[in-house]
Amino acid sequence: MDYSKQIQEIASKLFAENKIDYFVGYKQNSFDDSQVPFLITDPAEIPKLVFTNRSVFNLANYLKPDHTKRKRVGLVVKGCDSRALNLMLTESQVKRENVYIIGICCEGVLNEKGEKAQNCVECVMPDPVVYDEIIGTPSGKKEYTVNADIKELALMALNERADYFENIFENCIRCNACRHSCPLCYCAKCCIDQETSTLYHGANTSSGAMHALMTWSLHLAGRCVDCRNCEKACPSHLPLHLLHKQNESVIYENFQQHLAGMEKDDRGAFYKYSLSDPDDFIL
Amino acid sequence: METEVKEAQGKIVSAENPGITAPADWQPVIMGILCNWCSYAGSDLTGTSRIQYPPNIRIIRVPCSSRVDPWFIIKSLQTTADGVLISGCHPGDCHYISGNYYARRRFLVTKKLLNFVGYHENRVQFSWVSAAEGPKFAKVVAKVTADIKKLGPLYRYKKENF
Amino acid sequence: MSVNLIETDKAGLQKFYEEIIGKFETYAPVEQFGKYDYKRVTKLTECDPDSPIATTMSVKPLFFPKTSKIMKFLEDSSGTTLSETEEEGPELRVILGVKHCDARGLQVLDKVYNWDYIDTDYQEKRVNTVIISTRCDKAATHCFCTSLDYDVENSDAHDVRIVYGLDGKVYIQPITEKGGKFIKENSSQQSAAGSQQSIEEIKKQYKSFEASFRQKMNYNEVNAKLQKVFDSPEFETISSNCIGCNTCAFVCPTCHCFKITDEKIKDTGVRYKSYDSCNNGYFTLMAGGHNPRPVKYRRWRQRALHKFVYYKERFGENLCVGCGRCAISCPVNISIFDLVNQVAKV
Repeated sequence: MDYSKQIQEIASKLFAENKIDYFVGYKQNSFDDSQVPFLITDPAEIPKLVFTNRSVFNLANYLKPDHTKRKRVGLVVKGCDSRALNLMLTESQVKRENVYIIGICCEGVLNEKGEKAQNCVECVMPDPVVYDEIIGTPSGKKEYTVNADIKELALMALNERADYFENIFENCIRCNACRHSCPLCYCAKCCIDQETSTLYHGANTSSGAMHALMTWSLHLAGRCVDCRNCEKACPSHLPLHLLHKQNESVIYENFQQHLAGMEKDDRGAFYKYSLSDPDDFIL
Repeated sequence: METEVKEAQGKIVSAENPGITAPADWQPVIMGILCNWCSYAGSDLTGTSRIQYPPNIRIIRVPCSSRVDPWFIIKSLQTTADGVLISGCHPGDCHYISGNYYARRRFLVTKKLLNFVGYHENRVQFSWVSAAEGPKFAKVVAKVTADIKKLGPLYRYKKENF
Repeated sequence: MSVNLIETDKAGLQKFYEEIIGKFETYAPVEQFGKYDYKRVTKLTECDPDSPIATTMSVKPLFFPKTSKIMKFLEDSSGTTLSETEEEGPELRVILGVKHCDARGLQVLDKVYNWDYIDTDYQEKRVNTVIISTRCDKAATHCFCTSLDYDVENSDAHDVRIVYGLDGKVYIQPITEKGGKFIKENSSQQSAAGSQQSIEEIKKQYKSFEASFRQKMNYNEVNAKLQKVFDSPEFETISSNCIGCNTCAFVCPTCHCFKITDEKIKDTGVRYKSYDSCNNGYFTLMAGGHNPRPVKYRRWRQRALHKFVYYKERFGENLCVGCGRCAISCPVNISIFDLVNQVAKV
């Protein structure tokens, strides 16, 4: 899956026609053979643009105002990235006329060990759901499967599972990399950022970490597209996907098989309701 | 697969931490978050009708059950509460038309996630209580208090003690 | 020149470690979630002190924890009373498998913790800790410790140094007085004057280690240039994909910024000191809402110059030790090495 040439051509054309101020793509990492995000304003940097199956980061993150300052942006998105972008458009974070979207029909990305990433194995939508130009051949929507790790955890005894999660929360250092790399976390005053809110234990304690991560995951519920930016950004390598996938599976099962960002103008699962939502757990 | 809650030698065992026990006369602290228009008025009616219900519940009034953000529940459980009860208007009767419809979606996902990270599923409970249902409110509080009393004191994920 | 060392082999090294773990509070790199971190160990099998992979967080959290209580307070009708938090008394502890860059980071931090205010918690921990370092055989892609302003080969940042020689030989060398005393009193293997051959093997190992670096720079040139390039546009270009999280400062062995917060339930409370990062958008936010450094590239510029220029001016030592953790842990792999070199080229 090497689309570097096509992307460089499109970027040159966009700059030449003065349609964009920033182009967001990938460039080669200087430490290993993966790619990292690359923001360019100068067309002379275009030859550095690369796109292969090691281009993992969800670039929709760079549409937040402090990165591209609400200017016109051309960017490259894969299937899951485009779902996040779709949600950002619906939630009025980006103006559609300010974005030129190059959609890639993704064949899955590889992790550092060279294996296909777990979220790519369980992918439901490899094709871009919103685009101005499309590269690759669409393969259509795939069937939803429940994440293997949460199925395993659900079978553990309650206090064993609690020990496992307590260990995870103890290792969180409250760096906020997860929240800063998530495209859907765009609140200017985030409630779990310790500087903007004292609700969440300004100190880096493990109970504070539990409170912050659980709340973050519930605020993202019904909007998370499983791009794994958060997990890859975490310096402590915490398995954050467990919380998000758990919410996703409950939502899929109970709320008309809702998956985030699939349709145009689709908002998250918590922005709509049905008169027949399950009610039997309520006294 | 939940752990069986045992009553060993007249003591109550904490459901999430089998090593922690409490004496048989231990009383739980329950945080109650009630919506202003139905449940809070309903609890008022329980009081004026002189119906007795357990005093373990501490009530907070919110305008609507959809005001309840999941972090209210988590923060209560992290500080002194052993359980949480959230109550709102019956579906179709919300003062703000559709607040409780949105709320019940959020409640289900929150409950399942809390169970997933290690709280017993009965620690957080929800109810629909209307302004005319004085006796029902008393029954709900009695049921929730009894459930949580069986589960024992909550020790998991508590804020660091001083 | 006579150099004292213990000449032994892999099995002898295991025995050395086991003796220490059996006697003292020992910390070593332990694997969890696919990464290593220093944790308390009670058995050699739990840890991997000689793993070539560096820990994610440096050894800094054992001296400056990610959160620590500094005071308790009680507010009631009679006023406010302050009290000490219960801290464990200083006991001798040993850290195994410390990479040299981490140990060097502590030497650099000593300067700021003994400056205008003597941080007694940190001091006590420093005095009561023995650092046992294993010299790396090969540099990783993100390392550049030999390019900076200190001598890696003859450094005294660690108390005991372990070097792997040829043919399975292992050399355990006490470097500082504390290290020498520690080995004399606690190891069944004692050091003796090293043979000419072993001294040469250790030198050779260093030469091959030095040659394995991918990243090298001329520190004095770069430092001199950096003092004049405050307005360089390169700062903005290289930091354009930074996402503004706090990771680089938290994993760095020498970053020491912190924040103070109070937590209270009813009328008792605790004051905490926790990590903070100058890369965070709200680091310079003041009461009243003014924020002098809200723009991303300016924060990056401040960070790079603090590390390579300002600290050196004030304390005579470079604040960066060249471990490359910031680059590897960064979600987008931004390299401070690339940044200072690119800026200095102007």
